[in-house]
Amino acid sequence: MSRRAPATRTSASDRVARLLAIVPWVASQDGPTIDEVSERFGISRRKLLEDLDVLMMVGVPPYTPDTLIDVTIDGDRVWLRFADVFAHPLHLTPEQGLALVAAGSASLDLQGGDPEGPLATALAKLAAVLGVEVDEAVSVTLGETRPGLLDTLRSAVGEGRRLRIDYYAYGRDERTTRDVDPHAVVADDGAWYLHAYCHRAEGWRSFRVDRVVEAVPLDETFEPAAGAGDGAGRPDARVLGPDVPRVTLDLEPGARWVIETYPVDRVDEREDGWLRVRLPVTATPWLERLLVRLGDGARMVEADDDSLVGAGARAARRILARYGIGPVPGAPR
Amino acid sequence: MSAAKLERLLNLTALLLETPRPLSASEIRDRLQVYPRETEAFRRAFERDKDDLRAMGVPLERQEVPGTDPAVEGYRIPKDRYYLRDPGLTPDELAALRLAASVVQLEGVSAREGLLKLGGLVGEPEGGVLPVGSLPASEVVPLFGAIAAQVPVRFGYKGESRLVDPYRLDFRRGRWYLTGHDHARADERVFRLDRFESAVEVTAGPRFERPEVGVPGARLEPWRLGEGAETRARVLVDAAQAPWIVQHLGPGAVVDERPDGSVVVAMTVTNRDNFRSFVLTFLDHAEVLSPPDLRAEIVAWLERQVAA
Repeated sequence: MSRRAPATRTSASDRVARLLAIVPWVASQDGPTIDEVSERFGISRRKLLEDLDVLMMVGVPPYTPDTLIDVTIDGDRVWLRFADVFAHPLHLTPEQGLALVAAGSASLDLQGGDPEGPLATALAKLAAVLGVEVDEAVSVTLGETRPGLLDTLRSAVGEGRRLRIDYYAYGRDERTTRDVDPHAVVADDGAWYLHAYCHRAEGWRSFRVDRVVEAVPLDETFEPAAGAGDGAGRPDARVLGPDVPRVTLDLEPGARWVIETYPVDRVDEREDGWLRVRLPVTATPWLERLLVRLGDGARMVEADDDSLVGAGARAARRILARYGIGPVPGAPR
Repeated sequence: MSAAKLERLLNLTALLLETPRPLSASEIRDRLQVYPRETEAFRRAFERDKDDLRAMGVPLERQEVPGTDPAVEGYRIPKDRYYLRDPGLTPDELAALRLAASVVQLEGVSAREGLLKLGGLVGEPEGGVLPVGSLPASEVVPLFGAIAAQVPVRFGYKGESRLVDPYRLDFRRGRWYLTGHDHARADERVFRLDRFESAVEVTAGPRFERPEVGVPGARLEPWRLGEGAETRARVLVDAAQAPWIVQHLGPGAVVDERPDGSVVVAMTVTNRDNFRSFVLTFLDHAEVLSPPDLRAEIVAWLERQVAA
């Protein structure tokens, strides 16, 4: 007896599973064409005919002609009779059910969730069969956006249409207007991103969609770059070159989230549980924000750029001024 | 796979679906007439076939053959557990599901097999549809199965083994969360799946009842993660940052829009540390207006930093 690799086993199950789905559907129809069946079940015409050949030998004891499945092929059409034992497909496994429900829930969220649309009604029917309530058992949100904005961005990607976006750059804490050639809209790590060629920066940029304040389609169109959309040529926002200044911080044990959230060059764990972390600073407001949030939990050890020294205390003074405490720079007291 | 194997698996499935009582292994061999006669060769071939069927999700049950003494193990496939109840999807609905599955995928899990069972691949995914995201699948599948079956699950979390009645799964901000009833704490809790310390064990039961009122989605706003008393805070945010916070909190949070474009938002706070951290991300573009003690806490925090 030869031993078979697990891969062979998977394909054995696949072929049986596919046939167990094909049989009830064909049996319920009045002679669909071979081509229709092969297209609907994603199987080549040749393989389908092979499988139908096997099916003629399948049935229940005593395996007399009326207890074997009757396969009739006439011209280009096929009929199945005596297939009552396989009158229904095999139930959905939790994995198969979840794959559909999760995809459906996410897509519903993308489209703004038309409760009358075919996707919503399909999910409700599916949920009833699976024994769950879609709204109450599984909910998928890929990222947060304003209704309609994703549609605007996605259709601009599809049409190759230039966009003028009003964008809030969080790191630099500034709002800018820029013309971009949008190439892809993707969800990553819980947020939506627009990958686009930015004419203001003259380079590829990733924009967080929840910080796009407004997007206006322009008349200009562009030729989609080769490979755009499949990952090639996309900028990775997390790759930060050596020209970006670095700081070294000591972080308390409770501030470990920092290294899970931001790119870091190196991390040294100290015996007392504190971390010594060297990380790039893409913009001063970003560092200020990090330091005022961490308070006593962070100490700056060194900075490549002198202007970054004391950034936390300076930001704290500025915020205090807003609360009417301490000297307000450039304003009478 | 050979045609003979395909034929054998289909006939085995049909036999065990149709049989009115569990059949012993030797009865199965006698009726199908396709297995090797030699005992050891038969045993190996039959074991492999059973594994193949179970891998496909065929509910192959082992039961005692009635009237045998000593008891003999038998096999059958209950129709009510095998047959998919027809959800009656229209072609439009099948096409919508197919499109959804082509846009969003669960990592390593194909939606295709499910679609085939529901009536095949209908409609065309729109020309040039790009997948927009994939969801991590680790531990989600057994939890989903347990939610549907309404049976408790066990997993390691924060150094303890938890027994939980799973109610719902939420995917938010790039992570899966489970909401459920924690037996030891006798209360509802939210768990992050990426913090599970063991694989999920789906228990055999007993079945639990879902709460009659719907289970709300996981509360994920950091300032609401605490168990402290609720405080209603009002925060003024400058015009430039206003669209962002309105989108983040939802328009319902806005209690005042000022002529200069700035907004006042209301937030319900149960975790004051996380609230302070959130407000400080706006630097000097936001100000806590009330209540006074929350405002004073932020001022004290900043003064300590200036003094350091």
